[in-house]
Amino acid sequence: MLRRDFVRAVVSVSVAPRLLLSQQTANPAPAPPPPAPVPWTLGLNPKTPIPQTEVADGITETVQRFFTPVQLAALIRLADVLMPPIGDKPGALQAETPFFLDFLIGSSPAARKKVYEGGLNWLESESEKRYGKGFAKLDDRQAGSILKPLLRTWMNDHPPTEPHADFVNIAHDDIRMATINSRAWSDVTSSHAQASSTELFWYPIDPDIYATNSDGSQAPVHVIAAPKASHVMPEYSR
Amino acid sequence: MTNETFDVLIIGSGHAGGMAAKILTESGIHCLMLNAGPVADVARNAEHKPAYELPYRGFKPPGRLEHVFQANEFNANVWVDEQEVPYTFAPENPYNWVRVRLFGGRSLFWSRQSFRLSDYEFKAKSHDGFGEDWPISYADLAPYYSRVEDIFQVAGALDGPPQMPDGNFVLDHDPWSQSMQRFMTAGKPFEMSVCKQRRALGRDGLASSVNLLLPDAEKTGKLTSIANAVVRQLTVDKNTGQPNGCLFIDRLSRREMSVKARVVVLAAGTLESTRLLLNSNIGNSSGLVGRYLMDQIYGPGVICSVPEARNGKGTKELMGGGAIVPRFRNIATKSDKFLRGYALNVTSSTGAVAPRNFAAYGVELEQKLKEYHGSAFHMTMMGEVLGRYENHVRISKDKVDAWGIPVLHVETKYTDNEYNMAKDAAETGAAVAEAAGFEVLSKNPVPNPPGYSIHEVGTCRMGDDAKHSVLNKWCQSHDHKNLFVVDGASFTSAGWQNPTMTILSLSMRASEYLAGEMSKQNI
Repeated sequence: MLRRDFVRAVVSVSVAPRLLLSQQTANPAPAPPPPAPVPWTLGLNPKTPIPQTEVADGITETVQRFFTPVQLAALIRLADVLMPPIGDKPGALQAETPFFLDFLIGSSPAARKKVYEGGLNWLESESEKRYGKGFAKLDDRQAGSILKPLLRTWMNDHPPTEPHADFVNIAHDDIRMATINSRAWSDVTSSHAQASSTELFWYPIDPDIYATNSDGSQAPVHVIAAPKASHVMPEYSR
Repeated sequence: MTNETFDVLIIGSGHAGGMAAKILTESGIHCLMLNAGPVADVARNAEHKPAYELPYRGFKPPGRLEHVFQANEFNANVWVDEQEVPYTFAPENPYNWVRVRLFGGRSLFWSRQSFRLSDYEFKAKSHDGFGEDWPISYADLAPYYSRVEDIFQVAGALDGPPQMPDGNFVLDHDPWSQSMQRFMTAGKPFEMSVCKQRRALGRDGLASSVNLLLPDAEKTGKLTSIANAVVRQLTVDKNTGQPNGCLFIDRLSRREMSVKARVVVLAAGTLESTRLLLNSNIGNSSGLVGRYLMDQIYGPGVICSVPEARNGKGTKELMGGGAIVPRFRNIATKSDKFLRGYALNVTSSTGAVAPRNFAAYGVELEQKLKEYHGSAFHMTMMGEVLGRYENHVRISKDKVDAWGIPVLHVETKYTDNEYNMAKDAAETGAAVAEAAGFEVLSKNPVPNPPGYSIHEVGTCRMGDDAKHSVLNKWCQSHDHKNLFVVDGASFTSAGWQNPTMTILSLSMRASEYLAGEMSKQNI
């Protein structure tokens, strides 16, 4: 570097801050651009339209995962016999109740699964024994000859405990409830038929995200009522 | 605020805690209330929905709340999660512990049945020789019942026999329906008194601590409340040996906190208050904390149909209305099958008959439902469970809840006394129904598991003798004069009655005593 160049550089460095300071005062520099066009958490407000969505149940099909094909076929026939379409109201098949029960029972504790699996297997074997064909192929009279002797009257929380009657009566109750609470049933108004449940639904209130890590998941499965030696207590859960 | 010592620490915000807060703050006493759960805001937390919009079409979510028979998909989120706060029991002796930790506790959700105990309960041992008498009599509590009934607007008629004392009621003048009159006539040979139901009307449709008690306390400016405060244990002053506050955990953050108070009032619900005492190793010189767990037998009953009301003929003159049949066994005569007795809740319904009352399906069932609609008449039992030393709770040795707090192990079962009583209720109910000309559709003599009634009482029972009881007649610890338990834990016997009015009255009485003692500087 020539000496005059060095001198020029020193002068310019010493002058620059003053020039910059005078520019800021007279003509402020623009702020640096934001990281995005708008802060990403803002925007939704009370005027924001709510997208219209539908409940999947009744529009789409449940992927069947729990019952075997033979069990499901028996359940479909059982549901159709116990709750057929009556008047304008759909039956269990129109409400896709067997497929819903495949999901519900498949998600349930082992004791409840056992009631259904054992019950459907028994229906199948009893049908083969009496009529030489599976339950799914029985006509209404033949199905009734197996089911009607097992029907009982019973009070809430106390279904029959005798073998096979437990399954038939519990399944009947579940099939009715699943059908009546389906969208298909709800869509058809009728002054005579039982109404679908519409109640106050409570969302999780201030949920505790740690709770799923607690040590409480091994609680024993309950039985329906207080046992005593003389009472045969069911093992399924409700 | 961080070093503030409160006059009184109240743990629990239900009926018992709310009453304590009202009475104490209105006496000028500065209280801190801790509640383990959040505040429920129905406008924010709830919405009317059809079942088909829910994942399980209204069925109870599988695997959740196995011991809460009352739960369904709509209300599943209001109950204490059994995985978050577990408890243990032997599989052969199940127990249904039904809990709510929302602010206001179970006072937010209760059946409103509102009865006084009588001296058949307070002096039960004197009557039949079993158990212990309470250290108080009906006369001691009667004035408090009257004040509580006024606050809770209890409706009823002045028609009670001695075993169900009358009260300060919003009088029910509705006439009996004809079906009820037939039931009354048929019940006379069984010495049944059929009385008008007694239930708390509350205000604006609710009869809870959050709308009838806590607002009065808040109005004084003397109440400080903290939600989501899960109390781990009571603390003790090293110098005096007396309780002086508690350690608690913030439910959501897991932050550990402490607070000091001159007096501790436990109102967390019978078994949570007892769990806290056991985990704190406090107030148990008698060794009876956790002992004598009681409740009431629920489940047995009879469902009938009034034939004349079928096929749309169930007029309002014929059908409708509710009644209570107070205990009628072992009053004037003595049963050789069981001690004490049971009440019957009786309902004449103009609505549907449940399908499970017919052994039919398909078209035949639908015809039955149509024919029987508006003709239902049913009875359900509320029976006294005897207080037994062996029916107890203790701290589990190896299980903790979501906050690392040791949980309860429940060891209780019904005996022949309870089973015989349940059988008698179903048989007698059916006999009266048949005598009245009703058709019995179904009946059940088997009790639900202990705990189902949500009327758990005892485990810190009151008495005059410190060696045979945990609390004195003021719900005050025999061991620590600045420790009170004002919920159902203090009960010496269970009775057949829903315990809410008695819990409220005992809490009111204990709180006024405490306020008086504090003003005299005795505590």
